[in-house]
Amino acid sequence: MSDAQTGEVDPKLLEMLVCPQTRGPLVYDREKGELVSKGARLAYPIRDGVPIMLPEEARPLADDELAKL
Amino acid sequence: MSSPPPSGAPPRIFDRALAARRRARASARFAAFDFLHRRVMADIVDRLESVTRDFPQALVYGASGLESLITPACGVGDILRADLAAERLAGPGPALVFDEERNPFAPARFDLIVSVLSLHAVNDLVGALIQHRAALKPDGLFVAALFGEETLSSLRAALYAAECAIRGGASPRVAPFADVRSLGATLQRAGFAMPVADIDSIRVRYENPIRLLRDLRGMGEANALAERPRPLTRAIAADALARFSAQGGEARFDIVYLTGWAPAEDQPKPLRPGSATHSLADAVRAQRRR
Repeated sequence: MSDAQTGEVDPKLLEMLVCPQTRGPLVYDREKGELVSKGARLAYPIRDGVPIMLPEEARPLADDELAKL
Repeated sequence: MSSPPPSGAPPRIFDRALAARRRARASARFAAFDFLHRRVMADIVDRLESVTRDFPQALVYGASGLESLITPACGVGDILRADLAAERLAGPGPALVFDEERNPFAPARFDLIVSVLSLHAVNDLVGALIQHRAALKPDGLFVAALFGEETLSSLRAALYAAECAIRGGASPRVAPFADVRSLGATLQRAGFAMPVADIDSIRVRYENPIRLLRDLRGMGEANALAERPRPLTRAIAADALARFSAQGGEARFDIVYLTGWAPAEDQPKPLRPGSATHSLADAVRAQRRR
């Protein structure tokens, strides 16, 4: 069973990661399939179980989304 | 979303987003063009096999599926595969996209980091190396292969001469490559212990120089310079390829291997100058008397 099939991220991998922009912590949003960096106001996408840790590929967070974190 | 680099930042020579697209585009047919990557992986496997240590957690960047060449004798446990382009990460097992210029790792996570033919195209090499070092546990091993020295020098010269002859001027079309000595120094500057840089020079003869260009594109190594040159005309390309063939039709790939260890307390270190307890002169005199 590959990660690409389940779309889930390896939990051990999540533990290793920080935001490449701020070096701050990331929050895993399982529903949206994103890794959220509050400090950088960015949500890094996870595609087929592969986190895309490039700020230019990340989605900027809206104010109301930030407030909910 | 790109912002101008702050002052003091290294010059932007490579367009990383373009490099990612080149790598992505080449991914589907990469297996037909992976001869250099295979040779590099085989060499890295040799090096790992000769290290009598196990690496429970490894990061392998840029191997594009060739992680499978790693043998049990290398002592590598879990492998996290990574690349600049998601398309190069097909296959089972955990994988991750990141840019070696801005790595996303909490400190001290890996026992081994391998970087395969990728670091020649970063803008800030010392920065990238420092980040790799920080991601290593103490006494973790870093092994990288990158193009250096005289890589593609004959192609560079042919393109330059052809463009000068036809246009009366030329723009760079082959990326600049660092020499092995400065790469070794950079490894040291990045804080690696026991840094070693060595070089494997590979010469490939091309009967038809078009195939060289096809190989470069197939590897995902087509020009990714930030300063986009004026497109080549058919006449310039034809003249350049004719010059390349006339010079012997040989392409050179200089692969520089960098190895270093994340510093640790109990590592062997060179003694400080002046810290010797016995005089060399006495030792030599003692030898002579025998």
